[in-house]
Amino acid sequence: MPPESSTTPAVDSTVRSFRIQKERTRILGLTWDECIQGFFGGNAFVAVIVLGLITFFLFREGSSFFTQNRDNLTIYRQAGLEYVDFGRQQEKDHAALSRYLSDLRLRTLRHYTDQEGLPAKEAQARLAEFDRFADRFSSASKPLRSLLSDLGDVAVDIKARHQNNLNFAEKRRQLLAAGKTAEAAEVELVPIDYAGEVAAITATLPDFAEASATFAKTLEDLIATPPALPAPELTERLTRFQALTRDYLAGFPATLEAMKAWDPARPVPLAQSFTAFVFGRQWLTASFWQDWYGVMPLIAGSLLVSLIALALAVPLGVGAAVYVNQLASPTEQRLIKPSIEFISAIPSVVLGFFGIAVLGEFLRVASGWSFLAWVPGFPFAERLNALTAGCLLGLIAVPTIFTLAEDAINNVPRAFKEASYALGASRLQTIIRIIVPASLSGIVSAILLGLGRVIGETMVVLLCAGNRIAIPDFTAGLGVVTQPVHTMTGIIAQEMGEVEPGAIHYRALFVVGLLLFFIALLLNFFAQKIVRKYKVSIG
Amino acid sequence: METSSPASAAPVTRSLATPSKASEGRDGAPEPTLIDIRALDFYYGAKQALFDINLAIPDRRVTAFIGPSGCGKSTLLRCLNRMNDLIDGTAVKRGEVKIRDVDIYGPSVDPIELRKRVGMVFQKSNPFPKSIYENIIYGLRIQGVKSKTKLDEVVERSLRGAALWDEVKDRLHESGLGLSGGQQQRLCIARTIAVEPEVILMDEPCSALDPIATAKVEELIHELKKQFTIIIVTHSMQQAARCSDRTAFFYMGKLIEFDETHNIFMNPKNPQTEAYVSGRFG
Repeated sequence: MPPESSTTPAVDSTVRSFRIQKERTRILGLTWDECIQGFFGGNAFVAVIVLGLITFFLFREGSSFFTQNRDNLTIYRQAGLEYVDFGRQQEKDHAALSRYLSDLRLRTLRHYTDQEGLPAKEAQARLAEFDRFADRFSSASKPLRSLLSDLGDVAVDIKARHQNNLNFAEKRRQLLAAGKTAEAAEVELVPIDYAGEVAAITATLPDFAEASATFAKTLEDLIATPPALPAPELTERLTRFQALTRDYLAGFPATLEAMKAWDPARPVPLAQSFTAFVFGRQWLTASFWQDWYGVMPLIAGSLLVSLIALALAVPLGVGAAVYVNQLASPTEQRLIKPSIEFISAIPSVVLGFFGIAVLGEFLRVASGWSFLAWVPGFPFAERLNALTAGCLLGLIAVPTIFTLAEDAINNVPRAFKEASYALGASRLQTIIRIIVPASLSGIVSAILLGLGRVIGETMVVLLCAGNRIAIPDFTAGLGVVTQPVHTMTGIIAQEMGEVEPGAIHYRALFVVGLLLFFIALLLNFFAQKIVRKYKVSIG
Repeated sequence: METSSPASAAPVTRSLATPSKASEGRDGAPEPTLIDIRALDFYYGAKQALFDINLAIPDRRVTAFIGPSGCGKSTLLRCLNRMNDLIDGTAVKRGEVKIRDVDIYGPSVDPIELRKRVGMVFQKSNPFPKSIYENIIYGLRIQGVKSKTKLDEVVERSLRGAALWDEVKDRLHESGLGLSGGQQQRLCIARTIAVEPEVILMDEPCSALDPIATAKVEELIHELKKQFTIIIVTHSMQQAARCSDRTAFFYMGKLIEFDETHNIFMNPKNPQTEAYVSGRFG
């Protein structure tokens, strides 16, 4: 027994003891504090995990697209479709020339009726010589056309049987997986002798060469004796037509060479499957001939619409931000800020609906007003086009750009502004020379995030952009904005519902989604990077 | 000019030698008044910040405004170049401020023109996030001066005037934010003298600086008063004693006493002034 316990009273010893041990409640071995910490931490990491999962699934669904597309391109070659397409291209170019002629006929007719005031019948009669010329020009390709049509039938037949075999193979695989071995054995694949059957197509090369030569001769003779036209402007067009036809004919030997050199057995490299997607100029699905998955028209459409949107939203958003932060009275601030921020609360489908019913119609009518005739692309007949969609997207981007740009401007230290005023600068000079440059990186990142918002927007473009899958004709200059386009987001929303899961089309849509995902990721990355740099520079 | 270490003591000695008659300068010649403030009442919204201020600030001298926080000295300073206009709800309700006999609150006065003649240096150095060169010529740029030779000349003259030339002449095109605190403040002074104002207002210019940088700025003030009229607001009574010729003591929005600096510190007439300068309150 220690001596002190005997000398001091018991009460005193309890008071002086230093008790810091405590039994804590534990749930699954964790204390209450740790549970709460785990809960918050878990919530915080959900975002990271979800982002990872999204990336993973996009990759998983999309990655086999490129091998499937290679198969798609391989059968295009093996079945001889590629070979026949050489000839078909020649035929298509000829059809384009024929269209040039019919356009010329229309102009000439208009000349007769409007300029010379002839009655319609008389005008038609005067065109008789031109019509004979045009008819002979367009019917010259008939022998060539029938030959190509026969070849095409053969090629399509080979491809169809190939497709059947693929379906049978799939069926057999499913039966085997279900354990029905006997039934699986019954599913028979019909072997196809690709090389032999395609040889039948390539064997017609001399026939094609001959038909092509006759065709060329006919056209040459024809354009040597063009019909007379009543106005120099029209004759000029006819001369242009002659030149175009000569260029067209000059391309014949090259086509023949390409057909001679063509080899159905040449393998399609995987890289070609990739380039055919990224640089492909056609997005053509469910075609009897050949499906093409080229994303170019969609990228061009998305970019065009986004640029129109930014062209509107940047001045509006940044201008409003400067005004509200630097110039507006408190009353104006109370009115403007919530109004702009409310725009972002409007459901985009409502905006799209507004675009179809009001804005699209208004723009179409406005484009017909004579005092607006100087605007490139005006007048236009399509109510739904890139301009309509771009205007609405611009509206959607304004709140994003406004809010972030206003934040950036607000972060410019007041001291800069005071220093500028103290040196005798006016308000405008202070804004232009000090406030905007100091907040420029913030404004740029606001614009980038606005662009991200616009590129990802789906409903408005689906409803208002016109959904024509073709690369807009940029030769029209600024008038290109009035053409209907299709976008990356729009195509996914439109086609995803009707594709068969696992098919190449389905995969292609996933790859488009992946592309969108990366564009958004990049834009956000750069926006954040710029903002970080800007914070450092202000100190 | 005094060298840097005795700089703190020398001005006091000199001002002590100055005759006490308010109307005469240190050489005994009469001092012309540059800024004449009469019966000024100033309000922040409904709250009156300055009460009936009457003050005649002499030309090409250093005048110091001292007083405890919230006494209105900075407010009065900002009245002199109308910087208060930038704050909503401020107003001069009564009285007038005349510089060279022109009422600066008159209806035809453009505050922008006024600020070109009455420059200001702030408490916290605030160079623009631009190069040193661009900082100096900002005032000229906004006046539309384009000539490269003229701008180069102004940059060198202003930097020399602010005793900064030798330190920065090799890096004129680097950011002004890369300078030390004291250098930044002298850059701000150089930027102000580049537009050749008549008056330089300094709002506690040394309160964020270390003693060495403070000494350099004070030295600079002595140089500058040959060309400019300087009004300096300061919390440091030593600073007021060291660099100013006249000192005005404010308390609760009122001007309590205005006199030769040595009189304020050695022989104050008002008991409140005496209590403040001897450190008994404030």
